[in-house]
Amino acid sequence: MADSPEAIKKHIKLYTLIGAVLFVCTLLTVAVAKFEFLDFGQRGFDSVDAIIGLLIATFKATLVALIFMHLNHEKKMVYWLFGMGLFFAFCLMAIFAFAFSDPIEFQAFFGR
Amino acid sequence: MEIPFVVEPRKDTGLNNSKIGIWLFLASEVMLFGGLFSGYIFLRIYADYPWPERTLPVLPGLINTFILIGSSVTVVFAWVSLKLGQWRKFQVYMAITIVCAALFMVLKGIEYNAKFAHQAIRLDDYTVVEGHAHPQGGSHDYHAPKKNFNISAESVQINLSRVDDAYYEVMGKQYADGGMVLANKLTLNDGEVFEKGTAISKELIDRAKVDYLAAAANNSEIDIELGREAWAALKPKFPGKRYYEAVEGSKTLSEVVSAYTKELKKHRKEDYQTTTPNLIFVPNTGSASITVNPYWGKLSNPKEGDKGTLKLKDETLISGVTGDSSIALAIDGIDFRHTVMKAEEKGIDPAAAVANSWLLKDEKINKIWKKHQLITSKLKVLLEEDGREPTENDIYRINWQEIAGLQETDIADLEAMDYHDILALYPGDVEGFAGPDHKKIHYPEVIVPREQVRFESVFSPRWNTYYATYFTITGLHGLHVIAGALVLAYYLFFGRKMFEQRPEWLANRVEVGGLFWHFVDLVWIFLFPILYLM
Repeated sequence: MADSPEAIKKHIKLYTLIGAVLFVCTLLTVAVAKFEFLDFGQRGFDSVDAIIGLLIATFKATLVALIFMHLNHEKKMVYWLFGMGLFFAFCLMAIFAFAFSDPIEFQAFFGR
Repeated sequence: MEIPFVVEPRKDTGLNNSKIGIWLFLASEVMLFGGLFSGYIFLRIYADYPWPERTLPVLPGLINTFILIGSSVTVVFAWVSLKLGQWRKFQVYMAITIVCAALFMVLKGIEYNAKFAHQAIRLDDYTVVEGHAHPQGGSHDYHAPKKNFNISAESVQINLSRVDDAYYEVMGKQYADGGMVLANKLTLNDGEVFEKGTAISKELIDRAKVDYLAAAANNSEIDIELGREAWAALKPKFPGKRYYEAVEGSKTLSEVVSAYTKELKKHRKEDYQTTTPNLIFVPNTGSASITVNPYWGKLSNPKEGDKGTLKLKDETLISGVTGDSSIALAIDGIDFRHTVMKAEEKGIDPAAAVANSWLLKDEKINKIWKKHQLITSKLKVLLEEDGREPTENDIYRINWQEIAGLQETDIADLEAMDYHDILALYPGDVEGFAGPDHKKIHYPEVIVPREQVRFESVFSPRWNTYYATYFTITGLHGLHVIAGALVLAYYLFFGRKMFEQRPEWLANRVEVGGLFWHFVDLVWIFLFPILYLM
């Protein structure tokens, strides 16, 4: 990353801006869950709300990762390490999914 | 020896030691929290009970989100200050970060505390009632038991191989106060005799326990010895036969050996010792009142006045007449969703199941329910204009704001009111910062007899899988906050010397600590909407 004092000074504004965006996005997440006129899909919590909420959260997390954690300009090795972590986290989720879709749970598999 | 690559990067990776170390660690953290999130998702999708969605008070969570985001900004500013060689600024930003961490944990503590003081009961018909449990029997002593099992004991049977010191320590005093005495004469193998009517004591139980265990060990040793003798005698008679194969008519080898062992035992009768596995005590006054923490055992017949047996987890059996084991609950939440779910499973009309529920027999609660139905009907009309309809939560769940807000309002007045005017009567988020405040608002009290209780718990991991995951993930996250704050505090308080000698090294360390801190923030960014808003 750019480590010279001049380059770092330039980043201060960006960090403040990202902080502000994160604050606003947090308020937006709450607003989407609380206000009727921002409640998309059916009334109350449903899959549409889950998608919207998680999209905002993912956007916020991406900002934190890219800007605060400097992942927008890191060395290749860091991407490998973090990428592997994410990959195996998804593998874990897949294992859960396989466990839950175990055919032994379904009556149709062995007959009633 | 000089450690290489503490400041300058290694050529092949382009990273210094601490950077590669922290990213390896963060990768493992991603997998840890990823696994926990997966667990949450699948527990929720496959839950066999109505999921408590949007159940946590949002305000503490929201403030905590702001705190963590703010601290993420200040920690990065602290690092920038070091890079620019500004020690004083670094100190200020780092101090703010640590104060934020402390504030986060204080709010978490307030939230947890409110949960642990909040009682929930799943009634026999699956209605869920929430509130604060009051001391039993109308006591005004705050520390008095709130949900104990009470029994008028006519006998206590102590299982000598399972009796547990921790249980006896608490129960022993009650037994002694109740005048428990030996129901039968007890003769130990060393000849010591305890007459019928001997008062219960730890010494007596310990003596009997040691005697019983020694006798049981002695007897089983003889059993093993004779069994071996029998096998040794019989095995050569039936060469090549396995224990399950028939050897004498339809009798298997093992049956033949058993019969032979029995014969052998007859000749060793005198070597066997008497075993007394249980001691029975009776109160010399006829009955003794016993009170037990409900998590210590199970009450076979919880109906007051019926014959019942209380079985403690150390197998102690307390038999007698069940006393008042009811729970007095100041109700701040009613949820019929589980009742409806169960009714639908059985093919019963959900509305009828709710109408016939035990809870609605209480006049106060019935009034609240009628008001709620009126509000739901108003909401239905309002939503129909937008082509929407009320959710199960709207129809079957009454939250604390509704109970508190409409206590003083008569149903006739509500009929004339607009839906939004009714909502305006509800207390706001600030009033119930971490949940309903029972000190400020008096909630209707209902005495729930123990036979109506299917399951009860405070809002702890025991209550349901939602709270189990809530406490697991937020607890683990909280530990990360504490650990991160400790590391950052170390840089703040012990970094001066390094700043003067190797400022680049300290900056690298702070960057790495900051990376961990951002990760903690990143986890919370997902936790907040998932646990509080969905």
